[in-house]
Order: sequence, then structure tokens, then C-alpha cells
Amino acid sequence: MSQPEPHYPGAVPPERQHELVYRGLRLHLSEWGDPAAPPVLLCHGLFDHGRGFDTLAPRLAERFRVVALDARGHGESSWADAYGWVTELSDVAAAVEFVGGPAHLVGHSRGGGQVTDVATMVPDLVRCVVNLDGFGPPAEGASLPGGVPLHLDAPRRLQLFLDRRRRAASRQGWRPYASLDDLVERRRAQNPRLSPEWLRYFAYHGARHSDDGWRWKADPWVAQGVGPYRPEWIGPLWKTLRAPLLAVVGTEIDTWGPLPEPLLAERLEHVSDLHRATVSGAGHFVHMEQPGETADLLLGFLPR
Amino acid sequence: MSAAGCESTTLRHGRVSLVLHQLSAGDGTPLLLLHEWRSDAHSWEGRVDAWPGPVHALDFGGHGGSDPLRGGAYALELFAADADVALAEIGIAALAGAGSGAYVALLLAGARPEAVQGALLWPGAGLDGGGARPDFDHPKRPWRPAPDAVGPPDPWLVETPGDVRPDDYAEAFGRAARRLLLVEDGGPRPPWWRAVARIQGVGTTSPDEAWTRLAASLGG
Repeated sequence: MSQPEPHYPGAVPPERQHELVYRGLRLHLSEWGDPAAPPVLLCHGLFDHGRGFDTLAPRLAERFRVVALDARGHGESSWADAYGWVTELSDVAAAVEFVGGPAHLVGHSRGGGQVTDVATMVPDLVRCVVNLDGFGPPAEGASLPGGVPLHLDAPRRLQLFLDRRRRAASRQGWRPYASLDDLVERRRAQNPRLSPEWLRYFAYHGARHSDDGWRWKADPWVAQGVGPYRPEWIGPLWKTLRAPLLAVVGTEIDTWGPLPEPLLAERLEHVSDLHRATVSGAGHFVHMEQPGETADLLLGFLPR
Repeated sequence: MSAAGCESTTLRHGRVSLVLHQLSAGDGTPLLLLHEWRSDAHSWEGRVDAWPGPVHALDFGGHGGSDPLRGGAYALELFAADADVALAEIGIAALAGAGSGAYVALLLAGARPEAVQGALLWPGAGLDGGGARPDFDHPKRPWRPAPDAVGPPDPWLVETPGDVRPDDYAEAFGRAARRLLLVEDGGPRPPWWRAVARIQGVGTTSPDEAWTRLAASLGG
């Protein structure tokens, strides 16, 4: 059954939508605020989407032109044939060029890691970086939804990946959920700190309805979990970060963060212009849980 | 070897089609050939002598007759999955790879020891990779192929093969693999190759004897 668009207090739909065609993919961008104001690019986390910024973006739009990217395989952007960290950094760099850098970059979770890395790749296009709890997995790695378990040795992980790829030809997408409420429950099981009302808004924009039910828009293959990547490389890779970095975490322990303080400090030890902040009453989804406080923090940090 | 001509089969891997060529027929263990970076299956023609079984050669995604990947994100683990789809088609086999294809052969031999009887690693384009760890002092720049570049091979393959190949990562696959034979011709070899070469039981061969040595190693 189709569903009227839910409302959520403080959530404002984008004022404009854009499509950037990059490497054969349509990358979708949502925009708020004065098109002549200085730009801020927002990058969401894994299995999220740009509409998750519907409560943060309008607050930032008081001062900035705010553009949220749907990453490849997420939201309204195309599904790709493959996904990979460095390739997706190029997607973000293309989005920065599209909004007309130099821009401020703000990212959450995986998107936070992306914008911090992108600032090292295209330093001339970046003003300031805000990373909302996107400082990588714990030292032992984290098993991502849809990815292979990281505690196994590399050959065994690749074997599981290969098994999945063999099955992939016959399984092109998600199974449908009977109702939007089922999607909300599924997501709530993973992220119990997020309210059912917000998750209903978030899931509505993160899913599509068709005759046989509701399916996530995100590509089930966006997480892979194979390859030689190591969390201890994250800190040293930020040695070359030139832009000021505001590193933000919530005060509350949550499913995917924050990292224990000593490890977080280690990840950030090479950042030359480091600013730290915590948002009280927030877990991993800092901007979704406390959009007002997060917006105030960002407006205090990002010069016009 | 009887002349089977060059028959080709189309295989599905995820959302792309791959072309698997059969270069020759035979009754022994099948051989699957994995080409070097920015090449294709035809690069193997005339290179394999004295192989008793059928000889197959794959075009990796973005190469030869196989589809380019929409959005790129080429990675050697993904090429290993291309090769694994070919393995599912031809059954238990021996592998030979050149350059980046040699590294792919190592990955696949280590991940599927029950299906890969042995693997022969040749030098070639893409052998080195991007070193044992990222270059922390020089961040990557976004790739841009020449604006007028056309494929195949897909011009966006510029994103490989600068991939990181830690010694202990390569070694883990080397230890898990059933039989590995490295082709040595006195030329330089990257650290990941030398780490694999140090594993007890990994053999070396001259180029001239490579195919017969591989076939003999499977016979026992």
C-alpha cells in the first residue's frame, strides 16, 4: 500500500535537486539555501542517504548553500557495477567540483571518513572539514552490513566474498518488506537510539514502494569487506590534511561509535589543524539525534 | 592438443558479462589463463605449449570482450571474483596469471585451494602494485584518463594497479594455496612476490620449463 509522505519536526525537503553524471553513474544532489552563498557539501554514511540531512541542512542554509550528495548505490543515485573506497573518493571530489569548490565538507560516519580523505586529495577545493563520528572502524575492524566478517583471515574472507559474488548473478536486489513499518523496525534494531518517528521519515526516503512491498534504495552490494585495507592506516593518511578539521562525536555509546578515546586520539594525532567537539545526548547519528546543537556547532566553526 | 579454434562463452558476474575463451581442447586438467593489466585473453595465444588439458583464457571486466564496469571501482579482489566465475564454469583447474593477473591467480589459489590445483605466476604489466602500504606522504589524486581515450581496455583502469599489496597479505594467500610455481627469469620482482617465494613448498621455474613443470606438479 502506498503511503503519504511522513512529516518530521524541523525536517525541510530540499529546495532544488540536481544530477551529476560521472563515470556513467547518475549522482543525485539535494540543495538548500541561497545558490549564491558559499557552498557546503554533505556526505552521508553507509546505507544512509542525503535526505538524512533534512533536519541539519535547512539550519545550515541560513548562511550557506547546502548540497547533500547521495553516494553511488545510495538514495536516488545509480547503482554501480562495483564499489571501492578510493573510487568513491573521486565521486565526492566530482561533487565538490560540481558545487563549485572551494567548499566546506561535512560528512557523517563513512561520509566523514570520505570527506577527510577527499580533503587530502583535492586540497585546493576544500575550505574546512567537519567529520561527524567517521573515524574508521575499531582496531580489530568492523563487519559491515552486507560485508564479510573481518575477524577471519584474508583468504577465508575472500572465499566468502567469492561465494557471494557467485550467488549475486541470481540475486539482483533486496527482498521486499511488507510495510514501511517493517523497514523502520529493521533499522531500529540496528540503531536503537533513533526514534521511530525519525526512522519513519528516514526510511520513507530511503526506500521505494512497488506492488510487492518496500525495498531499500541502497544497493545491497555497497559494502564488500575484502582487500588488504587496515584501520591503522587511517591516522597516517591524515598527515597531509591541510584544511582545518572539526572532529565531532556524541557523548553516548552507540552501535557504531564513538571509538574509545585513546584510539580516536591516535587516529587524529597527525592532523595539523585539529578542533574537537562532543554533542551531548547524541550517539553515532550526531546530526540526526541533535540537529539543532550540531548546526550551532557547525555554524560556529565554518566561516562564511 | 586438438584444435578447438577459439570458442568463447559469455559468463555473468554480478551485473556485467565476461568473455571466457577456449584456446584449445584436451583431456587433462583444465588450465585457466589470467592476462596482465590492460591486455586480454589473446595475449596468451602461442604462449602455452604442452598442456594436456583444455586451455581457457578469461577477459577480465573492462578488458577485451568483457563489459566495462559502470562506475569503475576496478580492484584485484574483484578480478579474482571474475576468475572465480570462470572457475565455476570449468571446474577444478590450474591457473596461470601474468602481471596483475599473477597476483589475481595468487588470491584465487589461496581463497579456493580445493578448486585450484596449482598456479603459475608470470611477470608482466601490473605485477608490482602500489607497494606494501599506502604512501602516507603523497595522497592519491582523483584519476582522470585522457579525455580522448577509448576502450577496450577501459581507460578508467588507470585506477589499478596502484593497489596496496602488503607482504603478509600476499603471504597468507601463498600459504593457503595448494601449489604455487613462480616464473623467474632474473628480472626484478616486487616485495609481495619475494614474500611468497620465501614460503616453504613454493617452487620456481625458468620460463622455458614453466608449463611442463606446472603440469608435472599436478600429476603426483
